[in-house]
Amino acid sequence: MRVSLFCLLVALPGIALSADDSAFVARQRRLLEVLSKEPVSLPAIAGRLAVDSNRAAAIAAFDSMGRDRSLSNPFHGYALMAVYLHFRSLFPDSIHRLVREVFRSRGLYRGDTENHWVMYYTGMYLAAQTWPNEPGTEWFNGKSSEENFREAEGWLGHWITLTSTIGQGEFDSPTYMPVFLAPMCVLYDFAIDTAMKTRARMMCDLVLADFAVEDLEGNYGGGHSRDYPADIINPLIAQTTRVAWLYFDQPGRMIWDDPQFRPRVRASWEIVFPALSSYRAPEIVVRMATDRSVPYVQRKRKRVRNVIRFGDELNPPVYKYTYMTADYVLGSLQGGILQPFQQHTWDVTFVSDKPYNTIFTVHPSYSKRELGMFFPEELNVLAQDVDRAKIVYTSPDKWNSSSPYEQTFQYRNAIIVLYNIAPGAQHPQIDGFFPGNLDDRTVDSTGRIFCRSGNTAVSFFPLRPYTWIREGDNWRIRSPYLKNGAVVEVAAVHAAAEYTEFIRQMRTHRIDTTGFSRVPTVTYTTLAGDIMKFEYDGARTLNGGDVDITKTPLYDGPMMTGDPGTGVIELHYGVRARVLDFRQGRIIER
Amino acid sequence: MKSLLRVPSFSALLFVIIAAGDVAVAQRSSGGIRVAQRVTVYMTIVASYRAPQGPPADPAYGLFVSADAGLTWQHRGWREYIRTFYSEAGNDGTIWSACGNGVLRSTDNGIHWKVTTGWEVTEVLKVKAAPSLPSLVFASTAYGVFRSTDRGETWEKKTAGMRRPFSGDVCIDRTDPRRVLAATEEGVYLSENGGETWRQTGAAGKGVRVVVQDPFNASQFWFGTEEDGVYRSTDSGKKWAQRSPGSLHSAVYTIAIHPRRKDCLYLGTYGDGIFVTTDGGRHWEARSNGLSNMHIHALVVLPSAPDVLLAGTLNHGLFRSTDSGGTWQSCFQDSSQVWGLSVRTEGSSH
Repeated sequence: MRVSLFCLLVALPGIALSADDSAFVARQRRLLEVLSKEPVSLPAIAGRLAVDSNRAAAIAAFDSMGRDRSLSNPFHGYALMAVYLHFRSLFPDSIHRLVREVFRSRGLYRGDTENHWVMYYTGMYLAAQTWPNEPGTEWFNGKSSEENFREAEGWLGHWITLTSTIGQGEFDSPTYMPVFLAPMCVLYDFAIDTAMKTRARMMCDLVLADFAVEDLEGNYGGGHSRDYPADIINPLIAQTTRVAWLYFDQPGRMIWDDPQFRPRVRASWEIVFPALSSYRAPEIVVRMATDRSVPYVQRKRKRVRNVIRFGDELNPPVYKYTYMTADYVLGSLQGGILQPFQQHTWDVTFVSDKPYNTIFTVHPSYSKRELGMFFPEELNVLAQDVDRAKIVYTSPDKWNSSSPYEQTFQYRNAIIVLYNIAPGAQHPQIDGFFPGNLDDRTVDSTGRIFCRSGNTAVSFFPLRPYTWIREGDNWRIRSPYLKNGAVVEVAAVHAAAEYTEFIRQMRTHRIDTTGFSRVPTVTYTTLAGDIMKFEYDGARTLNGGDVDITKTPLYDGPMMTGDPGTGVIELHYGVRARVLDFRQGRIIER
Repeated sequence: MKSLLRVPSFSALLFVIIAAGDVAVAQRSSGGIRVAQRVTVYMTIVASYRAPQGPPADPAYGLFVSADAGLTWQHRGWREYIRTFYSEAGNDGTIWSACGNGVLRSTDNGIHWKVTTGWEVTEVLKVKAAPSLPSLVFASTAYGVFRSTDRGETWEKKTAGMRRPFSGDVCIDRTDPRRVLAATEEGVYLSENGGETWRQTGAAGKGVRVVVQDPFNASQFWFGTEEDGVYRSTDSGKKWAQRSPGSLHSAVYTIAIHPRRKDCLYLGTYGDGIFVTTDGGRHWEARSNGLSNMHIHALVVLPSAPDVLLAGTLNHGLFRSTDSGGTWQSCFQDSSQVWGLSVRTEGSSH
């Protein structure tokens, strides 16, 4: 007999209904229903078990996946444990034995990225907690339950400390953010140790707040550590859009059901664990994500992925700058090699009911030195190895790239992007992405580009000649000059006349590029009258004063603040504040 | 620490090699007792680009072991992918594996394994036990050199004196385990106090990929660089001189020294295949006939049958030669990256 979903959710461990979050619970339920119809995967099985969709078949599928020894990467170990713990009471003895056997005899790979390790050690922590006091002979890695527990606890603590003091490494990734949130939800749901449970909850708050302050109607705007080309040019297909929908009811519908926004990877449904979790986004975080009534600047400090070669610092800082409005987000990283091969340095992304709602530029760089900074394999074969796995690393047409020849200077709604590409560098060009479905795209006689989409107007001033290339539904501009760049200013326009006036005003603004042929240098006066001056490898000045980006706090904005090294991060909304004190392992509400 | 000079008295043993088909079997005579010995070759495949044929029964990566001079191979240990870079057996029979998951140890010939390291040790590229003191183990990792003095029970990071610690290989002097050479991204470093402190002695600023000790002359060492050929030291690693193959200053990933012929050694390079010298590096000759891939990452000469060489390539699997490198035949896993080859004879490893 089919049990009603409502009754099942009430009965599920970790899911409690209350009058306050009925809308959230309804979205959880809807997500689980959708997931239950997805092709077989551990998240889909969880969805089926949650909505009681042919439970026997779901258990059989779980049994089958549990027996598949090829499923041993970090995504599988923790997900197996998470599904097992959520539905333990439903499983027959054979499943209990099977899951135990996986951790006894399967060589689980720890992985080589930050998200891998978070998943791996979350899985190991919960497994060692579930089967305590067992000797090393009962574990695949020869370590006792106690050893595995302490190791997992140690690394998770280390990661939490790093993240709350010098920032996350795989930061603000539209693809990978959910695989940090999901394990933390699972840890919050099932960690017995109250200190770990609290820290997991705090990390859920932090990861979600990191997203919330740069979320625009489900779009994760600005610079990202890692993302894939399809997601970069079509932001709403990203995995984080599901997070936005679940927690913030953005963009107001399950947009991924629309073919225009179909995700690149349908099977990646890590959101299942937040959808099963008893973790609730604090109201203050929901407000941070949804209130765009006043434009604001959010600055953040993050860290570069571990630099294992060609560098003197393991985790150099990353400086982020994001300007949020109700209509668009303009955000950037400072440039340079901050992450291997999937970096997205800057963009303007705007609210739209159409896909491809973003504009940005990139130097499609690749080098064995870049990969050697982050991976231990042989320099001479790393590029081809990455191409096998990620497809596009050496392509001249790629949209994601970390270039050593790219630097940015942003102030509020304006950004100067400069390129100083070394002779002999791979792919000596800069490319820019423009949607094909803009409401308007006007190019004047100087090559300056004006665009409008909905309520957003963009002035894009290329600093060197370029050509337009039609690419499917969209446009690429390509400029083959080594010293290069663009000056971009964005504005909200709510009527055709405002857009016309925007163009007229922008045309009166002179951009001074004196000396550009020697060193890329730009002086630009914004519509608001602020004078930005930026020299490649030189100073950034605003209205005559130096802008020292190295002073960027861990978080600095009206809704999120924190100083580096303190482990204390404050979330603000109105007169309310939520303090995440990672030093003390406690949350303080004010 | 105990000196090798007082430990295995190999010099007192008489080796008689019997070639039984392709199975290399050595017999030794000591005090009138003859003991048959099998040569074991350990091969590590870090990645494979063919779809595994029905995993896990036929894993395409990890540790493989051959007891018949490289003709056939059996997978040993974890069948799942854990990024196994290198394996070798210490003189006490302990098998060590350098992996993404850390340093793995097996004391029962690869049936059971323990990850001996915690989260602090990862991206391990080589692991070597001291020939004269098997409880002393060094691991070269992307984060520096780590040392265990208790057979892997505990590990300590040992990078004092190194500016940039990325290390791809380590070589422990067989005559004095306090003397250790480390291949790093900025040259070769020498420690004379068991890794407590290091000083750079060669190839300043150059990536060094491999360092080996000469079996004939304990004070002679060789190292291969990322893009500057091969270097030799004749004073226990204090001073170095380039001995590159002609004008080819290639990336040298692997060096194999002939076990019976003095001054004869082979180099495995990136892009230029295999070279041999018979005069200590004065002259070099290409030995790549039959190789379909010229990116050689691992190379061994079988001590018991020195005409037999095995070469591991990046992406084209394992090749075997029975005529001292004159010709090569593909023999295993033709779509894989063979990262490591090592040989154990009489409980020693080469």
